[in-house]
Amino acid sequence: MKKKQFYSQIVETESVVVKLHDMKLKDDEKAHLVALMDSSLHHVILDAILSELSQGDKKLFLKELATDDHDAVWKFLRGKITGIEGKITKVADDLKKELHEDIKEVGTK
Amino acid sequence: MPFFKRSKSSQSSPYSHLQSKWVKRHVGLKETLLTKHRDSLDWLAENMPAKHHIAVGSLSGLLLLTPPTIHTLPPTIPPQPAKEQPLILPEKTFLLADLTSIVPKEVRPLNLDEEKNITSLLSDRINLPVKAELQGIRLNTSYGYIGAEQHLMRYPGDTIWTHFTTPIDAVSYAKSGMAPGRGAWGYFSYSKAEMTQKDIDREKYYIAVQTFLAQGYSQNVREYNEFFKYRKMLILNPQNGKSMVVVIGDAGPAQWTGKQLGGSPEVMSYLERVDGRQKGPVLYFFLDDPHDTIPLGPVKL
Repeated sequence: MKKKQFYSQIVETESVVVKLHDMKLKDDEKAHLVALMDSSLHHVILDAILSELSQGDKKLFLKELATDDHDAVWKFLRGKITGIEGKITKVADDLKKELHEDIKEVGTK
Repeated sequence: MPFFKRSKSSQSSPYSHLQSKWVKRHVGLKETLLTKHRDSLDWLAENMPAKHHIAVGSLSGLLLLTPPTIHTLPPTIPPQPAKEQPLILPEKTFLLADLTSIVPKEVRPLNLDEEKNITSLLSDRINLPVKAELQGIRLNTSYGYIGAEQHLMRYPGDTIWTHFTTPIDAVSYAKSGMAPGRGAWGYFSYSKAEMTQKDIDREKYYIAVQTFLAQGYSQNVREYNEFFKYRKMLILNPQNGKSMVVVIGDAGPAQWTGKQLGGSPEVMSYLERVDGRQKGPVLYFFLDDPHDTIPLGPVKL
């Protein structure tokens, strides 16, 4: 089972997975690309969040993240960053847009 | 048998193209995160609750809190009986797949971008501080053909008959023989009585590199030799993902051999590398281990 991230409910990745599925890739190839997408999203989202926090709050956030308590993570973020959901979806959408363009480019080759 | 073998035709496949692009982006995103938030991530590694200690040490530590798992297809895709279970691939498979896209196909010195991408990937995936350059010193190459070396005398009087502590090791490795002379740094120990486990491991897990071809060597022989002596390195076979922490135990081989480094019988055996016409390449980088905390031997992924 794919591990749920605290942002899983607001960041969909199925649109990219469907496109990869349409490419008729082998299972291991598809799995690798999906893992790269998931990890890349994780990085941009963490970067976006950490960039909004003070040095002290960064540590508190990482500590909450380590406990894997999604409610606590959201409570913390909403108290510290105005419009955090929008900021997360924005960076995720930007990255997914790039991934879609890459897939499209491969399809036109 | 390579762990993640890809046919020649797949080199230019849609997958190959996409994964090459996505791996580069992924490495870049990691670099960005590490560079911008290094202090906080280091703090996390040092202050993680005990149950997470297995994951500390680098950005990958943080990411191991959220291990990469494989996405199942959405419900709109018709179910395929043979693919009901999500495919879980070992970490080594990802490492090999990522390396495939950034390690050059021809064996040659890496350029700075390649060095940066590969060391970043290895540091993250293997969770060790891998460096192409350390204290301003770099080898002539970090990617080259490895040849088989013989055992080195650890102390005066050490012979092939006294060299092994277990019969299995003797059966496995005695056939490689003992080098007639000492290694570049002399004996590992002054005598058998004074030999420590560290000395034993250093000889067991040694490589010979072309220290004499390092830029600046001839102008700074003493300083460079001090730096190279028993310097820890990570060595990795990019075709099977097997890696080891080793030390520089000797200087060589000569340039005319066409090889760039040599490995002890134990190193060659573990990496599944052989000499002669079947010789193959390895990646090798310094390990930044000022407090001597990284143990020598195979790295488990």
